[in-house]
Amino acid sequence: MTGFYIRWGVILLVALGIGFLGVQRYERDVAAISPDQLLPNPVAEKVRVIGTIQGGSLSKEEEEKRAVFRLQGEKEILSVRYQGEDLDTLRELKVLVISGRWNPETREFDGASLSLIPNYGFVVAAYLIGIVPALLFLYLMERRLALLYNAVKQTKLYEPEVTAVDDR
Amino acid sequence: MHKLIQWMRRLEGWFGIAAALCIVVGLYMSLVTSPPDYYQGEVVRIMYIHVPFAQTSLTAYFVLFLGSLWYLWKKDPVIDNMCHATAGVAAFFTAGELITGSIWGKPAWNTWWTWDARLTSAFVLLLVLMAYLMLRMFMDDREKEARYAAILAIVGFVDLPIVYFSVEWWRTLHQPLSVSQRGLAISPEMLIPLIVMAVGFYLLFAYMVMIRTRMLYLEHLLEAKKGRLLSQAHL
Repeated sequence: MTGFYIRWGVILLVALGIGFLGVQRYERDVAAISPDQLLPNPVAEKVRVIGTIQGGSLSKEEEEKRAVFRLQGEKEILSVRYQGEDLDTLRELKVLVISGRWNPETREFDGASLSLIPNYGFVVAAYLIGIVPALLFLYLMERRLALLYNAVKQTKLYEPEVTAVDDR
Repeated sequence: MHKLIQWMRRLEGWFGIAAALCIVVGLYMSLVTSPPDYYQGEVVRIMYIHVPFAQTSLTAYFVLFLGSLWYLWKKDPVIDNMCHATAGVAAFFTAGELITGSIWGKPAWNTWWTWDARLTSAFVLLLVLMAYLMLRMFMDDREKEARYAAILAIVGFVDLPIVYFSVEWWRTLHQPLSVSQRGLAISPEMLIPLIVMAVGFYLLFAYMVMIRTRMLYLEHLLEAKKGRLLSQAHL
């Protein structure tokens, strides 16, 4: 059974490694903050901000590939100056993620790219619900197989006891 | 030892290693390197686990169908063990398909479940497999049990083309086939991780069936040994 437990230890480590890479990618490319988190403590580096485009605030300049709008958090409202692709994606009252930098001089957010709401909870749930039971199912089957193999080896067929025969 | 069992013992390790490699690479590609979808965003990543579950579920049932025909022809108890093992694994993959699909349905369609032709026929497939496993659980006569189960699996096969073609035959909420005679409806950047994951799942299915078949075979062997021991002791 030692080999069996070593094999499953390695599988567990690999699964943790993939989970770690997934979390890193989430932190790097997917996670977003709201205007409520950005405006009280503006940061210079590139951030992803999630919010709703305020109704009546959107104005597009299709030829220049430019748009100006306000992004609404729960309490705070962020003014955004966007320059980039996918202007069609911008619609009033739509929830979006804008990547860009806070400009302290204009006190506006300079957006460079757009993406949809990540909904990563659904992705994580689907993968965990798919992979964890599969591993558990496989672990239980392999363990049962190893135990059965030992049991079959140890179980002897009935052999009549050899009784001492009185030769006299 | 039966030839099929010997063959499985020899091959299962390779299948296990290949499945693990494909799934590890597939998970890395689907969670880290593949791009988000223009319409669905990050949620499209659920496809890389849901579609392999669905494809493997259908393949598993097809294997069960062929195995059942083979059993009725040969009446070999080890083939019956393989069918029984396949049914358990097929039920697992079908349940996985329905659950991951339901999780994808919420952000994509704004509902966890709908009585759509594809979803309903897949659910019926799960019910057929549950009926098969229950039949195997509650019958005493092993030969009758195997025969009835094989007949049930063959009758239940009617549902398989319905599941597969439901999105073509009826207007459904579920999207049509991505790979069909009309061509490819998926970008290569998404197709490659999907293929890697699908191959990994097929190999995992084969590995699971081999393990489970040997498990059932050993269970019966142990039972037979103990039974003989007991009957001898009672003589």
